[in-house]
Amino acid sequence: MHFLYFDPGLGAMIIQAIIAAVAGVVLFSKNLMYKIKMFFGMAKPQEEDVFDDIDIKDSEIENDSSGKS
Amino acid sequence: MQAKNAHSASFRDPSGYIFVENGDVKRTINPIYFKQYKALTESGFYKNLFKNEVLIRHEEISKSEKEIIIKAEKIPFITYPYEWSFNMYKEAALLTLRLQKYSLENGFSLKDASAFNVTFHKGKAVFIDTLSFDFYTENSPWRAYKQFITHFFGPMLLAHYHGAQQLKLLASFIDGIPVKQISSMLPAKTKLSPLLYSNIHLLAKLEDRHNEDYKGEAKVASLSKKGQLNIIKSLYDYIKKLELKEKSEWGNYYDKTNYTNKAFDEKSLIINQWVGEVNPNTLIDVGGNDGTFVRKLQDDVELALVSDIDNNAVDFNFKTMRLNKETSMLPFVLDVLSPSPAIGLNNQERDSFLDRIKVFAPDITFALAVIHHISLSGNVPFQRSAEFFSGFSKYLVIEFPKRNDSWVQRLLNSKADFKDYFDFYNFDNFIEAYSEVFEIIEQKAIKDSERVLLLLKHKNLNT
Repeated sequence: MHFLYFDPGLGAMIIQAIIAAVAGVVLFSKNLMYKIKMFFGMAKPQEEDVFDDIDIKDSEIENDSSGKS
Repeated sequence: MQAKNAHSASFRDPSGYIFVENGDVKRTINPIYFKQYKALTESGFYKNLFKNEVLIRHEEISKSEKEIIIKAEKIPFITYPYEWSFNMYKEAALLTLRLQKYSLENGFSLKDASAFNVTFHKGKAVFIDTLSFDFYTENSPWRAYKQFITHFFGPMLLAHYHGAQQLKLLASFIDGIPVKQISSMLPAKTKLSPLLYSNIHLLAKLEDRHNEDYKGEAKVASLSKKGQLNIIKSLYDYIKKLELKEKSEWGNYYDKTNYTNKAFDEKSLIINQWVGEVNPNTLIDVGGNDGTFVRKLQDDVELALVSDIDNNAVDFNFKTMRLNKETSMLPFVLDVLSPSPAIGLNNQERDSFLDRIKVFAPDITFALAVIHHISLSGNVPFQRSAEFFSGFSKYLVIEFPKRNDSWVQRLLNSKADFKDYFDFYNFDNFIEAYSEVFEIIEQKAIKDSERVLLLLKHKNLNT
């Protein structure tokens, strides 16, 4: 088994199944609302923001200088 | 187990430790982490994170059966979570979630989610704990989930409801704010939000209940990968939309000061001239508000630290920086009257502001329009503020507003009956105190104002 060098909290481990279920419902309903708003043309245009997207891209272009320190 | 000169903050994770050698930051990896390190390196995982500039770069410098040593890119000045503005905190939180999502998709998982694993470098948040990635075990919950709540989500919610000052709490709770405390501090209406109820209040309840389970009798929890991704996605969406409720006190400071446009331009002109003479690579602007004067510099500097006491001003600076994609500025929150202390085990895990700034050793320090606040709002004698600046400033550009300045008058008037106690506040006393440690190179009165700019040079610090 892996090293556990800090206490992850037993409650916090067990509860994640419940939180995940709630999160699933929240995400689903948000998505549904968005689609309904889109249908009626009420969706707000995406605002430009400074934060990166949740997905980190798998870039295949070799343009980096890895190994540079 | 720990040979060499292990950094005093690097002892929690048995996978390896950091040490500093000839000014280089290096990391020893212990055999217990060899498998993970090999997989992370060979699969291109590390490399891709480097390319995306989300993980600090490293290169392998030696390898044996006992240890692997890597050298990390050096970060000139580390800021800690309790020195970040709201949106900096937000970026660090979102970065941690992005990394966990990417890890899961590639068969790994973050084994911890400490806010101290992130810092700011080249204009953006970067993850600095290279050994935080472990293999993902199918259907296991996220071990670092609670840590994410106590280090990131909790403090941000508290800041949302009670103001940005709450972000300083992590200085007292180095391993995150207890869930129970977060839960009790949030308004009752947050219990109506399914996301907040489950992530905070229910978590607090369950933690309490399982506190007594010393034998570990409770069944092992399981959670599908899809489920875990749902948690991460929902937290990401929620945090991304989270904003502060309060308006900035200083946000449009320059609109309401007593500077005429002419005086403002002249001030900037004088500063530019002096900076041209000193030709610094690094600088710190103490009380730099939203970075206005650093942006007005004609010469490029490698790194400009811009600190302010006001979280909102720092936040405004950070947003400007991100929009302009500036990489040579590092904003952070600093209260001169109480700079960040050293905290953690033996008071050595996180360095004090003064220790860090001494190591950083900026070529020049700006203290523009702060001395009256330090002296009058903070009741600090000139000798003591001179002592503060002389601890790290080779050159000091300081602005002194005279007694007739309207801001000074306002501060004096607020002293009411004690106004007479502040008779010491005048130019002569200021010069006398600062001359003890600094040599006065030049001074210029700013036309159309009651203010004087001075260029000082430290008498003893090597330049």
